[in-house]
Amino acid sequence: MNGQKLLSIITYGLTTGVGLVAFLYPFWLPALTQSSYQQQAHAGDSALMLTVLIGICLAVLLLEVQSQGISTKTVALLGVLVAINATLRFVEVAIPGPGGFSPIFPLIVLAGYIFGARFGFLLGVLTLLVSAILTGSAGPWLPYQMFTAGWVGLSAPLCRPLVRWLGGPGSKGEIAVLAIFGGYWGLLYGAIMNIWFWPYAAGSAQMYWQPGAGAWEALQRYLLFYVITSLVWDLARMVGNIALITIGGTAVLRVLRRFQLRFAFTYEPAPTGGAAPAGAAVSR
Amino acid sequence: MKTLHPLAWVSWAAAIVVALTTTRNPWLLALILTIVGLLLARLHRLAAAQPEAQIPAVQISVVRFGLLVVTTSAIFNVLMVHLGSHVLVTLPPAIPLLGGSLTLEALVYGALNGLVVAGLFATFSVLNRVLPVRAMLRLVPRAYYPAAVVMSIAVTFAPSALQQIQQVREAQAVRGHRMIGIRSWLPLLVPLLEGSLERSMQLAEAMMSRGFATGEAVRDRRPQLLMIAGIATWLAGWLVRLAWGQEAAGLALLAAGIALLVAGVWLAGRQHPYTVYRPDVWHRRDVLVIGASLLAASAYIVPWPGLDRTALFYYPYPTLVWPLLSPPILLASLGLAAPLLLPAAAA
Repeated sequence: MNGQKLLSIITYGLTTGVGLVAFLYPFWLPALTQSSYQQQAHAGDSALMLTVLIGICLAVLLLEVQSQGISTKTVALLGVLVAINATLRFVEVAIPGPGGFSPIFPLIVLAGYIFGARFGFLLGVLTLLVSAILTGSAGPWLPYQMFTAGWVGLSAPLCRPLVRWLGGPGSKGEIAVLAIFGGYWGLLYGAIMNIWFWPYAAGSAQMYWQPGAGAWEALQRYLLFYVITSLVWDLARMVGNIALITIGGTAVLRVLRRFQLRFAFTYEPAPTGGAAPAGAAVSR
Repeated sequence: MKTLHPLAWVSWAAAIVVALTTTRNPWLLALILTIVGLLLARLHRLAAAQPEAQIPAVQISVVRFGLLVVTTSAIFNVLMVHLGSHVLVTLPPAIPLLGGSLTLEALVYGALNGLVVAGLFATFSVLNRVLPVRAMLRLVPRAYYPAAVVMSIAVTFAPSALQQIQQVREAQAVRGHRMIGIRSWLPLLVPLLEGSLERSMQLAEAMMSRGFATGEAVRDRRPQLLMIAGIATWLAGWLVRLAWGQEAAGLALLAAGIALLVAGVWLAGRQHPYTVYRPDVWHRRDVLVIGASLLAASAYIVPWPGLDRTALFYYPYPTLVWPLLSPPILLASLGLAAPLLLPAAAA
């Protein structure tokens, strides 16, 4: 059991670490590939290599998360929540919301906070995957979206100690912490998704062509690109997340907590030789 | 046309992604974009001939998206990169980062980068059109059985979720609710959540009473160890290739990493024995499409002896030059057009 736990920690650490390195490649790649023509040539296929790498990390993490045993109840709950959330993602087009605002993140944050990191991760990853399949918007950016949304849910339980310190569940501090957390992720999600597109927009050219152009310069250019193209859009997402969690957080948390209690029914195999049906679900 | 095996379509799309992301050569880009464009046009015609009612997908026009991306990245590149000898305009150097000469070279390279993104988008919209949702779900490896169950529940519930959203909206509208701002989301979200949680409870009870159980944790650690080793090997191969330029050793390590990962997924899949109802049938045309795609993709990443791959790395700086034309690579890329050769009657 201890070995299993160690393996889990290694998996989480490795995939998150490698994922972070892969996401940030536009900043460290130029420093590595300034020397010769041959290496510059290889830098050309690095976008492909890193998309594959993100996909691999996602696959390994997903296997780890589901190998801990997902109960039937969790499967059903996840399935229905993913359906709701994925549908909300394309209804958002029909109902006006400001800028990059999307109602999917508050639910990922709140469900991850209540039901735990693994649940939050699966909700994030599968919401993006299912809505991409349903709306026909799958593409090479999908692994990045899934990974980032998974991180949102995976990291949501990190709010728990802070909430406990600020007055525990049901207090105003809880909503404040979750709203700020959701707000940060709203901004961060946009910034991370932009990194996927950035090497194409900025062209990899100036990154290795200009002598002495290091990570700092790349970062400066990225920030400029980000401010010009997407800051307003992402700020809307941030404000939207904060507002939605502030306004609806209490109500949604109450619903989720109530169902967490109600969902505590267990499955008992029938006693051998009894006349009872093959199994009975005991509900409360 | 839809009768190709899903895996044949996936390998075709993968080959295009490999080709598009590894080259910036205008000749090759033009060829690939033409192939994808012809396929899209053909699908459009087929769809117009037999309209199918599907889940209301939010379709973004491929042409419009492509134009937007090409313009954005061309403009951005011109403003950011002040390299090249054909100067168009010179901005006052006092402006930070933007100041300097705007060159034709930067414009061309930015537009080429935009074309790559547009091509990726077009390729995936072909894939999304030809593969039905169920076929996509079936592509999920058996190791991810629990996740696949969640996905198929979600896909099954999505139409009724949409219906539920509409019902809640109508019910609230009757009470005088209007969508005006962010606050208006709450009276929609809470009933929706409440209803769907109720439904998930019924579903869980139904599944349990039918003996569906996925509860137990997995004891076998070998798949995970294999996959961790796979990531490490893959990463090592990539770095060996990138930082030290050891082409053959790097490719061998990359292949070994992939093999370890596939072995891990396969081993994990054996814990979920299930059978497929009505499996997809393999035809000779599927094998042909896969073979042609593999051949085309290999011209872009495998260092074949005797194949000069310098044409792939088109680079307009410091002076705009006419791109090299490599007949072998161009010929291999024609393999990507294999789905176009399918008889239209197959649809």
